[in-house]
Amino acid sequence: MDATEQPDEPTPDIDALVDRLRAKVDERRQAGIYPPELEEEMAAHFRRITSHRILPNLDDLQEALGDLQRRLDFRPERTPIESRLPAGAAMHKTLAKLQARQIAGALEQVRDFGEGVLQLLTLITAAIENPNSHVHTDLVGQMDATVERVSGYERAPASSAEAVSDLRRRVEELEALERGRRFEPWFGNRAFADEFRGSRDELLERYADLADHFLERAPVLDIGCGRGEFLQLLADRAIEARGVELDPDLVDECVRRGFKAETGDGLEVLKSVPDGSLGGIVLSQVIEHLTPQQVVDLAVIARDKLRPGGLVMCDTPNPQSLYVYAHSFFLDPTHSQPVHPAYLTFVFKEAGFAVQIDWRSPPPEGDVLRPGEGADDPNVSRLNQLLFAPQEYALLAYRG
Amino acid sequence: MEIHQVVVGAGPGDAITNAALDLRDILRQACPSEVYARFYDQRLHGDVLPLKDFARRPAAHPEENIILFHASIGEPEVFNFLQERPERIVVFHHNISPAAPFVPYDPAFAGRLDGGRRELAALSRRAVMALAASEFNAEDLRSLGYRNVRVSPLLLDVDRLQALEPNALTVNHFEQMVKGPVVLFVGQLLPHKRPDFLLQAYHALTTYLDPEAHLILVGSPRLPRYTAALELLVRELHLPRAWITGRVGDDELVAFYRRADLFVTASEHEGFCAPLLEAMAFDVPVLARSFAAIPETVQDAALLLAPDDGPLVMAEAMRLALEDDALRAGLVRRGRRRLAHFAPDAARAALVSHLMELV
Repeated sequence: MDATEQPDEPTPDIDALVDRLRAKVDERRQAGIYPPELEEEMAAHFRRITSHRILPNLDDLQEALGDLQRRLDFRPERTPIESRLPAGAAMHKTLAKLQARQIAGALEQVRDFGEGVLQLLTLITAAIENPNSHVHTDLVGQMDATVERVSGYERAPASSAEAVSDLRRRVEELEALERGRRFEPWFGNRAFADEFRGSRDELLERYADLADHFLERAPVLDIGCGRGEFLQLLADRAIEARGVELDPDLVDECVRRGFKAETGDGLEVLKSVPDGSLGGIVLSQVIEHLTPQQVVDLAVIARDKLRPGGLVMCDTPNPQSLYVYAHSFFLDPTHSQPVHPAYLTFVFKEAGFAVQIDWRSPPPEGDVLRPGEGADDPNVSRLNQLLFAPQEYALLAYRG
Repeated sequence: MEIHQVVVGAGPGDAITNAALDLRDILRQACPSEVYARFYDQRLHGDVLPLKDFARRPAAHPEENIILFHASIGEPEVFNFLQERPERIVVFHHNISPAAPFVPYDPAFAGRLDGGRRELAALSRRAVMALAASEFNAEDLRSLGYRNVRVSPLLLDVDRLQALEPNALTVNHFEQMVKGPVVLFVGQLLPHKRPDFLLQAYHALTTYLDPEAHLILVGSPRLPRYTAALELLVRELHLPRAWITGRVGDDELVAFYRRADLFVTASEHEGFCAPLLEAMAFDVPVLARSFAAIPETVQDAALLLAPDDGPLVMAEAMRLALEDDALRAGLVRRGRRRLAHFAPDAARAALVSHLMELV
């Protein structure tokens, strides 16, 4: 400590301070604020600049110039005086001494000239090295502008107003498309179901046999439980069940009737239950509302969530019956597409289920074609198969 | 008895030239004294004499006289002159930059630096005394074979700089155009001083930490290729607030020091580094890297980073040194105290007393 230092000032711990700076850098690196190889990239960038762009291969020129400069060292002493003749060296030495003044004068002139030449070559070398001096000035300007633009993009792509407005335009397009797909009628699903699905009692009767398949298969998840008819049938059989339904009004009705039901997307709820925890899954008049992707996803999710021996039951309009199209399928504007029983069988088999198809709801007797009196017309039965096949089928898929 | 000084090149504002002329004025009070140069700027005509005139100087007992040679670069003609003269030789070692960083930009110049070291080594046999501005330089001399080696502080007259009126145009430019904090580097734009490292640190500073900061690189661009590379780096990293000024006058330099919020250097080789003390004289905190003579020059009066700390640590240090008022005040206070060690009169007295030993 020297005399001028005030003893009350603590010696600063610069090392500890710098350690904190290093820690800060590590922190920012780990938080992803700094790109991973920032320092290496910056160093490499400068190396590229110096090795490829600033330095055309003019090193030889520079070296020759340096060499020339070294040769400018003219001195009389460097003039050789040795000789192979006897006493030749002494003679040369004497002659050199006699002529020293003239030699020095001549060397002075040569040096003067040499310096002029060196200066000229230095200027020429500099002109060659500086491309701006012989490249069209517009071109250099354009290159600079390009480099600046590119580096601008590289630095702040997200903040660029253009990029933001592009994104906004894209979002608006997507929103418009989405609006076209949306269907939010002012009438309730309840009113629609009452009008077209049939009365509660009719449905209870229609599905009673299907409900029997779930004996010993509790708990059951009823996806798209609607007004709760299937939940009712399960409750009547003392099978533990709960329902999921998109329409909160319908869920309220189920709850009023004393069933467990929640509002939500059935596939999402299914995904959220523990694997192997269900005995049965009901999708009554649901899969014709799903997208093709949802149908295939359903099969594998159901397999994961069911315990061995568990059952998936999907009943849905039968696309093999043309009667269905004329009477019922297009009644519901929310149907996306009918699902062919052969395709659905394939999907569930591929997912590892054993599959049965239960053909249901034949068209009313009165609508079916009858052959003429006493005639047994094979065409009539073929037409009946095509036109009046059962209106619905139920897929019964058992997990292996 | 006469004491004369020899420099390779002399120019107005050049630190070695200034120190030589200052010493000459003192020596003249005791004996005849001149400054000779192989190359010199015409503006110094009369103050500095051409080296080739030295031989014409009448001297009854030249072997009693002293030539103080300021060594900073190789020059065969000056070397031959020194080897042949009968006077006693004292070498003042101003440090010779390492040649390797120059090879890609100017092989001829690199050759002169290498030559300079060889000549300096050869001169050790003739020198009766050697002087160095730092212990770092003194050690360098010893490694080259010098024996009678003394550390003598550099004659650095910061008072003269402080007394100058700052350049009005530059001050005006700062008032109008420069709003954020200013980080300043002063020194020649040479590869071993690593201005490229500073630009990388500054890139990180403005991109991630302090977008308002300015970086000003003040100093003469000795190597056109290297300067062009730095300018291209500034453009490609898109650093509109980085400013490479080129050579500036003393009054402009004063304007830069007065406006600066932080002095910074990334240099990896310095024999002494006078701008560090100039910054301290203007109460500007100093941030540097621990290379060569720098730790010795600044002691505890700078924020010193380790040699292997990269540009990101330097960026973080720049921000800290710009924002932490207590740290800044401490650095400024210790800077003033450090500066007191380099009072010009004390430096003159030390230098003269070394020379007087030979009389």
